[in-house]
Order: sequence, then structure tokens, then C-alpha cells
Amino acid sequence: MRAVLRRIGTGLVVLWVAATAAYLALLAAPGSTVDTIVGDGADTPAIRSQIITEWGLDRPAVLQYLDYLWRAAHGDLGRSYLLQRPVSAIVGEQVWPTLKLALSAAVLGILLALVLALTTRRPWARRVSSTAELVVVSTPPFLIGIVLLSIFSFRFGLFPVSGDHGVAALVLPAVTLALPIAGVLTQVLRDGLDRALDEPFTVTARARGLRESAVLVRHALRHALLPAVTLLGWLFGVLLGGAVIIEQVFGRPGLGQVTLTAVNSKDMPVVLAVVVLSALVYVVLNTVADLAYLLVDPRLRRS
Amino acid sequence: MRRTRTIAALIATLSLALAACDSGSATTSAEAGQPVDGGSLTWGVETEPITFNPHQYAQAKARLLVWNSFEGLLTHDDKGGYVPLLATGYEASPDGKAYTFTLRTGVKFSDGTAFDAAAVKANIDQLRAAGYAPAVAAVQLHSLKDVEVPDPATVVFRLTAPDVLFLDFLSSPQGAIVSPASLRAAKNLKAGGPELAGTGPFILDRYTAGQEVHFKRNPAYWGSRPAYLDEVTYRFLKEPSVRVGALTSGQVQVIEGVPATDQAVITGDLTLSKGLNSGSAYSYYLNAAHAPFDDVKVRQAFRDALDVNTVLDAVYRGTATRAWSVISPTSPFYDKSLENAYGNNPARANQLLDEAGWTQRDADGFRIKDGKRLTVRLVQSAPFVRDRRDILAQTVQAAVRKSAGIDLNVAVVDQGTATKALADGAYEVFDNSRADTDAGAALNLLLSSGGAINRTGVTDPEVDKLLAQADAGTDRLGAYTKIQQKVVTQQALVLPLYAPADQIAASRSVGGLGFEPTAGVPVSAYGVWLAK
Repeated sequence: MRAVLRRIGTGLVVLWVAATAAYLALLAAPGSTVDTIVGDGADTPAIRSQIITEWGLDRPAVLQYLDYLWRAAHGDLGRSYLLQRPVSAIVGEQVWPTLKLALSAAVLGILLALVLALTTRRPWARRVSSTAELVVVSTPPFLIGIVLLSIFSFRFGLFPVSGDHGVAALVLPAVTLALPIAGVLTQVLRDGLDRALDEPFTVTARARGLRESAVLVRHALRHALLPAVTLLGWLFGVLLGGAVIIEQVFGRPGLGQVTLTAVNSKDMPVVLAVVVLSALVYVVLNTVADLAYLLVDPRLRRS
Repeated sequence: MRRTRTIAALIATLSLALAACDSGSATTSAEAGQPVDGGSLTWGVETEPITFNPHQYAQAKARLLVWNSFEGLLTHDDKGGYVPLLATGYEASPDGKAYTFTLRTGVKFSDGTAFDAAAVKANIDQLRAAGYAPAVAAVQLHSLKDVEVPDPATVVFRLTAPDVLFLDFLSSPQGAIVSPASLRAAKNLKAGGPELAGTGPFILDRYTAGQEVHFKRNPAYWGSRPAYLDEVTYRFLKEPSVRVGALTSGQVQVIEGVPATDQAVITGDLTLSKGLNSGSAYSYYLNAAHAPFDDVKVRQAFRDALDVNTVLDAVYRGTATRAWSVISPTSPFYDKSLENAYGNNPARANQLLDEAGWTQRDADGFRIKDGKRLTVRLVQSAPFVRDRRDILAQTVQAAVRKSAGIDLNVAVVDQGTATKALADGAYEVFDNSRADTDAGAALNLLLSSGGAINRTGVTDPEVDKLLAQADAGTDRLGAYTKIQQKVVTQQALVLPLYAPADQIAASRSVGGLGFEPTAGVPVSAYGVWLAK
């Protein structure tokens, strides 16, 4: 019980630090909020003073920060400077499309990595797979997306080009996002498998007369999974970063687009909400990773 | 982002090479026959509007959406004049300080509210409310004194001084009349959307942020006929190559925004058309507030050092329209005599620089004077860079370096840094184009002494007097002609580069597409039909 509470406590601290760091970063960035609201349009002192009054920007930065924290603690994330709508509504309606994309890409990427790592054990298959992995890892997702679109959407018309319209529209973006993940995970898993197969316990297992596939799946894979689980946090970063580009290419709604616009236009309330949300997901994922260690490795349970 | 753009260009070039075997050339006339009722159209657009509230309108790319559901008292004709829309007529008082409008009767907003003089007044009151639309209140409504409503079908606008641009406001998106009931009830008033009701031929009924906006036909539209289409969906496709791919594969029937690199693939069953925008041309404004551009000879040298046509061809492959004046060539105030009257004279540029004392050269070949290099800085704000203007700047940079030893320093920065540079005067070149329907509105902002976007740092009483004279409606053509000649040819404060344009590519089954008179941006969906 105490462990759980401690976990929640540190989680909250992480969220607060993330929000504060983002706040300070935006504060330190050149130009004021008023500048960004004015944009490239007409700019006179009268216009400026109206904007300042509207958003209460004449208050000291510390006061604005405390006010933000106070309201955030009460569930009010404020309004977007740019879009003039409540931040909770903007982020709320965009979370699900991104989550759908991220989850399907993650599942697809992990499955693909498992299958590839386990099936390409022969030297020639290994070489082919390794090369392919290297290619997809080093290709920008933008290019993968455009190539997939050109072939499967523009030429053969198998999948729609854009939007969030059912499963068909999810296939290409999910594959685009999954390929680089699968590439890296396969490399890590294969390396883990190789090392596990050199361990004495593998010899013992084989000596017991276990089939090679059983050795691989039941024993070696468990060892290979540990470093892969550690990559869970990295996976989230890739998914979020990839979403920015993939949502743009495929004209999909989602948090990636919202984040990009908000950062570019210094839309503080939206940026802070996205940062806090990302920090929250990180905290949750790392907790899940810690639990997954226990599941994968019985030795860790005892300690 | 830069990397993605380079790759996009690369892919476009590839597809261009692949399409080279196609023969047929694109025509601009649709072959969709007579107008047909019904059907649903999908239109791929480049820009997702920041707001759907017409009063908050700030993106020329969003104009085609505004007119689907909203209308103003006036609209533009194709000769630079105005025709009544929600009004039936108007009369100016002899002193030019009052406009009396008679309104159309029997018109209803799509939420059922009646359109009348009180609704017009409610809109103006809203626009002047504190914190609602400060830019509109400070610029377009600066000369408005008050609004009178003598009867439900009559509105009188009283001005503090004669101002012909007030009519331009009444035909602009910001002057569109929104149902007063929805203005009061809307939860996210400034964001607009389905909450705001207008009188237009379509009703915005669905908006999915980041994906699309959907309009359905307004069955009770007041005009001589309802819209042809039952419904129209605008998909937000930011990547040019994706827009073009969606069109060529038939997933959308119309796209807007076809970059030069993609225009060659629009062949066969697809048509391409182009419309020049109104307002001010994309130009470089030279900051005469400090050295080196405080010397008119250096400004003229910068202008003469540049071969604009060659630079435009290199970047836009012959698809750009060269601008000769600060005013767009489609404007009735455009001074045609400026064409071929200046520029592309490196010999004269070098001579002028010698005369101005920039006689020495440093090791890199740049001119120097008193040990200082002839450096001028152009600061571009990344969020507002479009039409590959960053690439254009780099090409200009190379050109003026080669022809006259001028060091044009180009920086693409975030908006805060750009605004700071402008505020501190830490720039010598400022780039801008404006899509105002009346070029005069753009000139007021850009060239008058107290102008909100005056980046030349020049306060010229003569120009101010001419602008004021034009605003009052006295010999506008003469006044604007004098201004153009002064700032472009004589003073070389403005270096016009190209006239911004919009492109539409569409399947031949779509009829009624085109460009709005005067504004030159794609039309709304009112007159568009889909052949069966």
C-alpha cells in the first residue's frame, strides 16, 4: 500500500515538474504571447492593450503561473489563445484518434518484431531481415508514409488517403508508424536471443531434450524480453513524435497536429496540457514496465 | 520540418518525371455541361481555418469556407466595384460621411432568426465590444462613428470622416452578418463553427478538427435558387503531394493549392486553373531607418542588382506571375507603366554602390565601406512562410551576391524572434503580401507613417496626404499611381517580386468552379455542381 502511495506521489511530482519546465521554457522563448496572438496582422497599441486585458497578460509571470496551477488543480486547463476554445475540449477530442493510431502501431510493431526475431534464425533470413530493418529504421516516417500512400492509395485505391474513417483509414498510418518500431525492436530482441542461447541454461534445456522452438520461445525469449521492455518509454516517444508527421501526411486528426500548431504559435495553455498529458503517460508506462519486469523475470519478484 | 519539405519537393520531382510521358495539356474550362442538382462533393484544402467565426477571419485561404454560410451587405463585382447582397441598395451622403443602406426583407438566418437592421447593428456592436475583434475595430472600423436603425429595413452608418474603404469592410468576411441570437448563445464565440448561424447557401453542420468540415445545403436560402450540391466536405490535406494524389486517385474531386512542382501531373481528366489574388504583391520592403538602406542609392542598387524573372523561374518553374508594383496586377489601381521600367541592371547597381562609397571588396567578394560589410538582414517568421518564400530568399541571396557583392542575410526563425527583430529594428528587409480586396487597405497599413505594418520606417507627408485623399474617395487612381511610382521606382522602398495566386485542380465532372471577383481566391460552393 505504501509503495503504491509513494508511486502516486512521485508521479504527481513528475507532472508538476514537467508543467513547470514547459512553462519556464515558453517564458524564456523570444517574443511575448501578445506578439504571437497579433501574428502577421495589424499591430497597434490599441490592439495590443485589448489582447493583454483579455488574457490577463499584464499580471506578473509568477502570478500567472500560480493562477494556472491553481486552476489546473481544479480541472480547468484554460482556453487556447489561438483556437479560442477550452483546452480540455481540444485535447479531449483529439486524444482518441491519436491513441487509436499509437496503440495499433505499437501492437503491430511489437507483433512484427516478435515474429521476425523468432522466425529469422537462419543466416540468410537474418541477413535479409536485418537489412530491411536497417532500411525502415533509417528512412524518415514521412517518406515511408508517402510511398505507402502512392502505392496502396493513389495507385491501387485499397485504402483511403486521409481522415479518421474506420479501420481502412487506420491501416496505412499504423503500418507507417509501426515499421520503424518493428525495426528497432527486432534488432534488440534478436541480440537478446543470441545472448540467451549462449547461456548455460540453454544447453541444459537442450540436454533435457526440449525442441529448439520450445527453447527459443519458452526460455531464450524471456531473457531477450527484458531489454525490450526497457524500451517502452522510448516506444512512447517514437509514437508521439511519429504521430506529428503521420497525422500531417495522412490528414488525420490527433494530438500530434495540435501539439505542432500550439508550439509554433506559442499557445501556452495547449502546450502545457499536452506536456502534462505526455508526462502522465510516461509515468504510467514506466510503472507498467516495472510491473512487466516482475512478470517476465521471476528472480526480480523475490527481491 | 525543413527536411520533410525537401523530401516533398523531391517526390514531386519524381512524379513529374514519371508523368512526362502524358501528352494532353490542361485546359481551364470545365466540361461538366449544364448545372445539375444534387450530389456531394469532397474538396481537399491546404489550410484548416483557425476560426469559423467570420468576424475573426484572418486567413485568405479560409475565405472560400466563409461565404458558404455567411454573407455581407455588399459583395465585389469584377470591376473593383460593389454590388448589393443582403442589402438592396445604398446611398452615400454628399459629404461622404454617411451611408444609408436599404436591406433585403424576408431573409432568415439558418437558426430561424430574422435578418433585419437590428441584426446588422448587433453585429457592429459585437465587433466593437472590448476584446472581441481588436484588429477589426482598430483598422476597418476606425472611421465609424455610430449606426442608426430608423426602421427594420434601413441602416445608416455615420462616419467621422469620408472613408470609401468602409464599403470594402461591408463586403469582407469580417463584415459578414451573423445571427445575433447565435452571437449571444455561442459557447465558443470566437472559434465559431456549427454554433454560429448565417444567411448563406450552406449550413456548417459538422467540424472534425484536424480532418474536415462539412456543409449541407440550406433549403431555405433566400437567393434565386438554392445551392446545386446537397453537401460539400472540405478535407484538410496539408501536404501538397498528398492533395494531388488524392485528386488523381479520385478520392477528392477538387483541390486547392497546387504548387509549381506538382502542376505537371494535372493532366487528362483533370483541369488546372489559376487566379491572381487581390491586395499587395509579395514584395521586399527596405528599411530606410538606418544604414545602409537609408541611402536611396543603395536601395536602388539592391533593386537593380536583382533579375527578378530569372529568380522566379528558378524557384517556381515559370508558374509565378512577376509583380512590378506593390499593388497586385488585378487591382484597378495597378500602375501598368511600372512594367519593365526598372531593375535587372547589374552595371548600374555596381555604379550606384561605388557612388555611395561601397567601393572596397572583402575576401569573400562582398562590398565593404569603413571596414563594414554591406550586409542586409531578412528575417522570416517560420509559421508564415508559404509559397517556398524561404527558398526564394536564398535564391535572391545568391543573385545579389553574385551581381553586386551585397550580403543578404536570410534567417527563418520562430515568430517571437521575428517580432522582436522587427520591434528592435534589427532588419533591413521585410517581406510581406496582403490579400486585402481593396489594395488601398493594404497600402494604408504598409506605407502610411503610422501604418500598423509600416516596416520601411519612412514617414512621408506626401504619401500620407495621398493616402488620405484616396480614402476620402477623391481621384483614388491618381493618388495611388503617384504613390506606386514614388515608393517603387523613385525611392526604391518597395521591391515587388511576384503576385500571389491560388490554384484549383479538379476533375472535369465538376462545374462552376472559379475565382472570386476582385479577391481572386477560389469561390465558395454555391455555384458548384457535380455532373452525374
